[in-house]
Amino acid sequence: MTPDARSLAPLVIFGLTSLGAYVAGAGFGGLRPSALREATGDMLETVGLGTLFLLGNLAVGTVLVLGVRELTHHFVSIYVGSDVTLPMLSVVRALVVRHWRERSR
Amino acid sequence: MRILGLVAVLGVLLAAFTPLPNRLNALMAGSPRLEPADAIVVLGRGGADSDGVLTNRSLRRVLHGIDLYRRALAPVLVLSGTSEEARARADLARSLGVPTGAIRQLASVHTTREEGEQIGLVLLPDGLRRILLVGDPIDIPRTRAVMEHVGFTVLPAPTAATGPSVPEGRLNLLRDIATELVGLAYYRLTGW
Repeated sequence: MTPDARSLAPLVIFGLTSLGAYVAGAGFGGLRPSALREATGDMLETVGLGTLFLLGNLAVGTVLVLGVRELTHHFVSIYVGSDVTLPMLSVVRALVVRHWRERSR
Repeated sequence: MRILGLVAVLGVLLAAFTPLPNRLNALMAGSPRLEPADAIVVLGRGGADSDGVLTNRSLRRVLHGIDLYRRALAPVLVLSGTSEEARARADLARSLGVPTGAIRQLASVHTTREEGEQIGLVLLPDGLRRILLVGDPIDIPRTRAVMEHVGFTVLPAPTAATGPSVPEGRLNLLRDIATELVGLAYYRLTGW
């Protein structure tokens, strides 16, 4: 198997389990297949909100780092804001905000 | 908001499961020019861990620099980085046969601009102007501009051509490319 083919393994696994989840949800879980399109749209909205939060976090992080450097002459690396946890936390916040909005209705 | 979400999802899929980041990586590196020079400059990257072990990228760079030295492309090897990083690199270079007299170890530097200025102070007074610049492919445009600004003639010697082939590695690479492009824009805006 070539490296490029191997790199697709996560997609194949995800595709298979998604198919399983669809069959289980529609067959035994009582979920309406017609609502899947709407659910996908909701997911995209949450991801979009998370992306917006991420851009905000990156902007604030950059300003903070440059501000600390300028005001204290203490070196802080600009790379502290590029950690992989930041996108994850941004999406978590988007999920909370989305559920918060729904609970507030 | 849904359009932004769609763009984000498609972006992640493209970055993780296609060679797009690898192509960008190669594009930013340009063509290496491994020709005789006055000095080999190994830029700092990532420092050393708390136990003094060099990070992966720092190690890759210094090994590439040592390889160029052993191919007799230049008589001087400049090792940059934080104080721990430069020390660990110098120890490694000596253990791999580079004579102490050929190594010029920088004092602690944190930014590429500081690196450029200090390397200028170390090399230019001795007339060492033509340098082989060792860095990650994505760092070459910015670091090359800084070194040329200081007064060097730069021969790019990037550490790799294409980059990782696994999805996680490609995502990390795209993040680094984005960070580097922001850095490049910042340096251009500030006159470097």
